[in-house]
Amino acid sequence: MDLARTVGEALARLAREPHVQEIEVFAALNRSLLTRLNYTSHIPCNGVEEPKSAEMSGLGVQAVFDGPDGQPLVGFGSEPSDLTPDGALRALAKARQAAVHDPEFRSLPRSFGDAPALGSYHDPRLMTVADEELVEAGWKVITGGLRAFMASSRLADLGGSEAGLKRLGLILGGDVTIVQSRIAVASSAMPEPQADDSTYMSASTTGMVEARDAKGSGWSICARLEQFTDEAGAEAAGNAMAAMDGERVPSGDYPVIFGPQPVADLCNNLIVPSCHAGSFYSSSTPFLGRLGQVVAARGLSIYDHGAMPGLAGSHGITCEGLPAGRTDLIKDGVLVGLLSHWYETQRLLHDPAAREKLGVAPGAAAGALVPRNGFRYDGGSGRSFDTTPGTSATNVIVEGADPVSLAELAARVGNGLYVGRIWYTYPINGLRAGDFTCTVVGDSFIIRDGRIAAPLKANTIRINDNVMRLLGAVVGTTKDSRGTPLWGADEIVYAPAIAVRGVHVDAIAGFMEGLG
Amino acid sequence: MPHGIETRLIETVTPMVRELVATQARALADLRYADVRVEISEGKFAGAENGEAKTSGDDYAFALGIRVLAGRRMTAPGYFGRGLGAADVPQLARLLREGLLAAYRRAMSNAELKAEVKDKFGVLGDALADTRLHPIQVRQEVVPAVFEVDPRGVALDEMQRLTTDVSRRVSGFAARVSYNYVSTMTQLSRELFASSEGALIDQSFALTQGMCYVVATAPDTSQEVYDVLGHQRGWEILTRGVSEPLIEFPPFPEFASAIARDAVEVAAAPALAAPPGPVAVVTDPHYNTLLSHEIIGHPVELDRGLKMETAYAGRSWLLRSLDETQLGKRIASPLVTAFSDPALPGYGHYAYDHEGTPARRVVHIDRGVFTGFMNSRQTAAVFGGDPNGHWKATDASLVPLVRMSSTVFAGGDADPAELIRDVDHGYYLVGHRTPSIAESRENFRISARKVYEIHRGQIGRLYRDGGIMADSRDFLLHVDGVGRDFRLYPIPNCGKGQPMQTRKLGNGGPTLRSRAIVTGGA
Repeated sequence: MDLARTVGEALARLAREPHVQEIEVFAALNRSLLTRLNYTSHIPCNGVEEPKSAEMSGLGVQAVFDGPDGQPLVGFGSEPSDLTPDGALRALAKARQAAVHDPEFRSLPRSFGDAPALGSYHDPRLMTVADEELVEAGWKVITGGLRAFMASSRLADLGGSEAGLKRLGLILGGDVTIVQSRIAVASSAMPEPQADDSTYMSASTTGMVEARDAKGSGWSICARLEQFTDEAGAEAAGNAMAAMDGERVPSGDYPVIFGPQPVADLCNNLIVPSCHAGSFYSSSTPFLGRLGQVVAARGLSIYDHGAMPGLAGSHGITCEGLPAGRTDLIKDGVLVGLLSHWYETQRLLHDPAAREKLGVAPGAAAGALVPRNGFRYDGGSGRSFDTTPGTSATNVIVEGADPVSLAELAARVGNGLYVGRIWYTYPINGLRAGDFTCTVVGDSFIIRDGRIAAPLKANTIRINDNVMRLLGAVVGTTKDSRGTPLWGADEIVYAPAIAVRGVHVDAIAGFMEGLG
Repeated sequence: MPHGIETRLIETVTPMVRELVATQARALADLRYADVRVEISEGKFAGAENGEAKTSGDDYAFALGIRVLAGRRMTAPGYFGRGLGAADVPQLARLLREGLLAAYRRAMSNAELKAEVKDKFGVLGDALADTRLHPIQVRQEVVPAVFEVDPRGVALDEMQRLTTDVSRRVSGFAARVSYNYVSTMTQLSRELFASSEGALIDQSFALTQGMCYVVATAPDTSQEVYDVLGHQRGWEILTRGVSEPLIEFPPFPEFASAIARDAVEVAAAPALAAPPGPVAVVTDPHYNTLLSHEIIGHPVELDRGLKMETAYAGRSWLLRSLDETQLGKRIASPLVTAFSDPALPGYGHYAYDHEGTPARRVVHIDRGVFTGFMNSRQTAAVFGGDPNGHWKATDASLVPLVRMSSTVFAGGDADPAELIRDVDHGYYLVGHRTPSIAESRENFRISARKVYEIHRGQIGRLYRDGGIMADSRDFLLHVDGVGRDFRLYPIPNCGKGQPMQTRKLGNGGPTLRSRAIVTGGA
């Protein structure tokens, strides 16, 4: 199926329809294949729980129509499964029926001159993976984890017998995900059809030795099928075993090294949403009025790069047909840019309250509001045809000045915590307040005398702090960085470990130790 | 209407679906079980922002999902899902067969590899077992939707007018309202389920919802307040409101104005400075809607209990292993009873779940004692007990999970006002806001829309950015007052599964009094 030709033909057909001023045609053909994993040594299980797929294709049409009194009407309609001009006509009819006058609408997206940086970057093998290969991928991860458990003399000693080994409650859960995404877009303003094919494969695994309240994580992201290994399963099992016999810590304020997963989680739930243009428009960001001002510790930089070769979140074009690229968000501690899409950028630049919301005059903010992040993501399942674009991050990259090794960072911390995995991270009092909470669920350790000394028992502390304070209290980062996929998120965050002083934690769930 | 798919297409589809599972599926070698779900919905929506129309639509959704259990040496599952369109109707029989074969290939491959791994990994391979489904009463039934104003008959411009008017009203409420987004939707959906066991169930649902999101600003704060008015009924619930014994809402314009009023009031209030240590807290039915959801509903989902959600939604502190559970043990005060009941009205209402199980009430906590989980056929086969019909997906193309129907705290006998008057010093929490729950649901922190200080039995000062934090069992054991003001509320956005499925369901309860740590800003 030549999607570029599809949208070109549809555009030509729809442009002839009466009272149509502007048209944008978007086609998508998505397939997400996934195996859910569930192994439990102490409970009958399937191992590979759900080999499955969901697929969808269709056309989305956004159109500007002649309206009453010369005021144009804007509408969106879509049609699943029919990529012919007839399907486009049905989508246009829905758009016409749904059209409204939106005074903030300026135009459909316009090119800003840059050419797409990426082309032909998908893996053809991933685009045609067979059912059996999908199932095999899941079992590869499971057996990687089982081999790691079986090879452990420590586990064998703890178990004492075959029955004892099973009663340790060895768990492997998670998924292998393959996303096949094909899109094309053409419009009145950008009539040359643009197509973009992308593929993505990841494995996310959680391992447990449940009888020892030990939890560990493993994950992998790869761009090509031949790169896929069992590492996620083996890593999760290994990390679970490393977390056995964890200790509790009392409530208090600690210097904390946040590992790549917590940094990713904090970015996904707090920092990146705070950098969305829409959050400024609605006055709901903690960075309100602070463009160009210091919002984080000097040396900390965060940027989004939608066209970085080799990274899992990269694309050639956005779902608006504009080139994906790099947007600096925080540079050396200063807020310098926002994530946006075409509509959001236009309306914020023309917002009478823009100076108050941004902190600078709109004219000075144009460079910070380049619309490189208009995507139609479907919660991890590809790029959807049946929705208008929203603002989404792609590859979020976190860097610190003068990064050091983890050992050196731990030495700098002295006595504190290494937090390797957090969960249920939310802005508990609204995004603008910056207050957040989460629990520490695994992969975490106590730092004593500058060294990682002992596992921190999983699910025994809750972090209650404020993201603005956190950003200002960064005292160092590691050299090593890792890409982390997050549940329900479309972006990948590539982050080092980051040390922060004075993080408030509360001890929780003491009753669990005595639970009969 | 511009779209060419109507829910009555299900009647055309039914014979080919039945033939697929009854004949074609059974002809496949080593197939133990197959089921098919087909879903069609016709819906309309409108959105407005800051008093201006933004979006609207009149469209359909059409999808299918297939499950197969098969295998030569062992039995394992395989699934297939697909979104459909009008262009697929002439070739639907072919698409169904292709989907069946894809699910079958996956199940067979899965079963073969399961058997290999079981043989290869000795003692750790023992846990790999055949996929079994607990028997159920196989039914054939048609369940109609309930509504006064047919969602299909509501004019889109009427919807847009109401939505925009409400947004305009909210914008004009006060200068402090800096932003609002208002949306409405009304839809009719029809779900067909057929299985190789002979089940054939055709259920229809009306659903209507109004949502209002408001940001009110003050010099050093923005208060985001949002809420949803919804029911499995027609458009009438937005124009006239709802006045039923268990569900009470004003008409949507008044509902949205109340949200604006709350946002403005709270934005002007001081931030709560959290007092030390646990104190007496009284929580209203709206707050307890989220509380029942998070610390009752989620930990009693049996797939979570059996560790199947360890990597995502977490486990349950109520089940350690098959022979180490909290069943029969006291986990709450004798005043606390909690249950799930798909017969309750509202978002959680249905007659059959998505594997054809007749849905029924299950009591989770009976006067403080833990008594049971909500389950599916597969989880019931592993753990024991009869299936109670809580396996649901948000879309036919997605694999179902154990989901709440309506999970609630039961009402009590106390006068809610008396529960406050008896408190010398404490806090009264009104309306839920944002939750964060520990991995096995053993601890929670949930913020409230409004927090009032109680001083000598009187409601005093209003604060913003407050909430409570507690270990779940401690909170439940310390409940010393349960009001008689039971209410049900819609929860529009419960997320679970991989890929994420955001489901509408019901929760609720009366006013409760217990003890907890009160939280403020960091």
